[in-house]
Amino acid sequence: MRRRASLVLLSVAVFLAAMAPTLRWYVFPRVAKVPSNEYQVVALEARPATLLDYSTLKAREVEKITIVQTLKGNVEESKRIERGTDRDVVVWDALSYVMGPDGKMVSKIPERYVFDAHSQEPVNVPGATVDGDRVTREGIEFKWPFFTEKRDYLYFDAQTRTSAPIHYAGTRTFRGLEVYYFEQTIPWTQVPMPKTMPIEGITPELIASTGLTRWYTTKRMFWVDPVTGAPVNGEEVHREELRGAKALMGTDTVTVFAGHVKMREDFIASTVDLVSANRVGVLLLASYLPWSFAVLALLLLALALWLEHRSRRPAPASAPGAGPGPRPAPEPVTPPV
Amino acid sequence: MRALVAVAIGLAAALCVVLLFALVELPPEGPTSPRPLLTTDPGPRK
Repeated sequence: MRRRASLVLLSVAVFLAAMAPTLRWYVFPRVAKVPSNEYQVVALEARPATLLDYSTLKAREVEKITIVQTLKGNVEESKRIERGTDRDVVVWDALSYVMGPDGKMVSKIPERYVFDAHSQEPVNVPGATVDGDRVTREGIEFKWPFFTEKRDYLYFDAQTRTSAPIHYAGTRTFRGLEVYYFEQTIPWTQVPMPKTMPIEGITPELIASTGLTRWYTTKRMFWVDPVTGAPVNGEEVHREELRGAKALMGTDTVTVFAGHVKMREDFIASTVDLVSANRVGVLLLASYLPWSFAVLALLLLALALWLEHRSRRPAPASAPGAGPGPRPAPEPVTPPV
Repeated sequence: MRALVAVAIGLAAALCVVLLFALVELPPEGPTSPRPLLTTDPGPRK
């Protein structure tokens, strides 16, 4: 009986020992993915901000600028692209919509971001665009990979349409979560005019014909949950200028937009809640279950060996005279005559 | 010999789980959200 129990325990121990690495390195990459039908909205604000008043062609300080950033997973496009690749692909149609204090549009930049659902590596296929321009991406955007490392990453900048390193700048505690803080500075760079301008009748081509050029610099900061790779907070110190404006505006440089953009408090709170819930699932699959299986496997193996050892030990003597030794002569069947 | 059989049974069970994940498709995640790309302030998040 003990022998049979030890064999069953051995079987279960082997199963658990095999499942521990399988869960971490086989099941986890297949299950932990960004869903293709994700829909997320984030509102950011700069209070106060400097904004170009197109009616006077002068920069003025305004109470606030609101940026509404929507990410919407395009399931049909992901399925179409997946047919041509052997990976799970997510397609995000994104829109950064900037509003002045009166709610009127300041700028809007649509974007299509195609990436690997697990690793977040960009998938460069036709259709990946920023403001209608086809782009080839390197590095990440919006989200870091699961189990973010303490290192620099390449981060795609939609304004310049190029990638540059975003630097790991330390581990911080943010709303009770241990997060990695990343920082990237884009130096003054000439960037294309947005396709949609805030004043009707003014087109990027018209502005370009006056000799005006658009320049931009930013310092972007992200607080990233290293388990899910999701940013729980983001800020940007953003400046945009029109240069070569002397003939038109009297000064060579005019500020189009300047401000310190921060995620709105209610969106920070909901993002922290969402990320806290998601990280439990990720940790369960990648850490808690594999380690529990490994420890349990060792315990069961030890128990199996102990039972096996017990089953092989000779039984103790139960009465005097019993046990090994010469047996007494059997009683004769027929009495002696 | 019986110990070897027990080990083989444990490994076979683990292999079955691997095959299950390889062969069974994960449930579809649902269609594209009908909600639009926003061009207005979404209001306070509850």
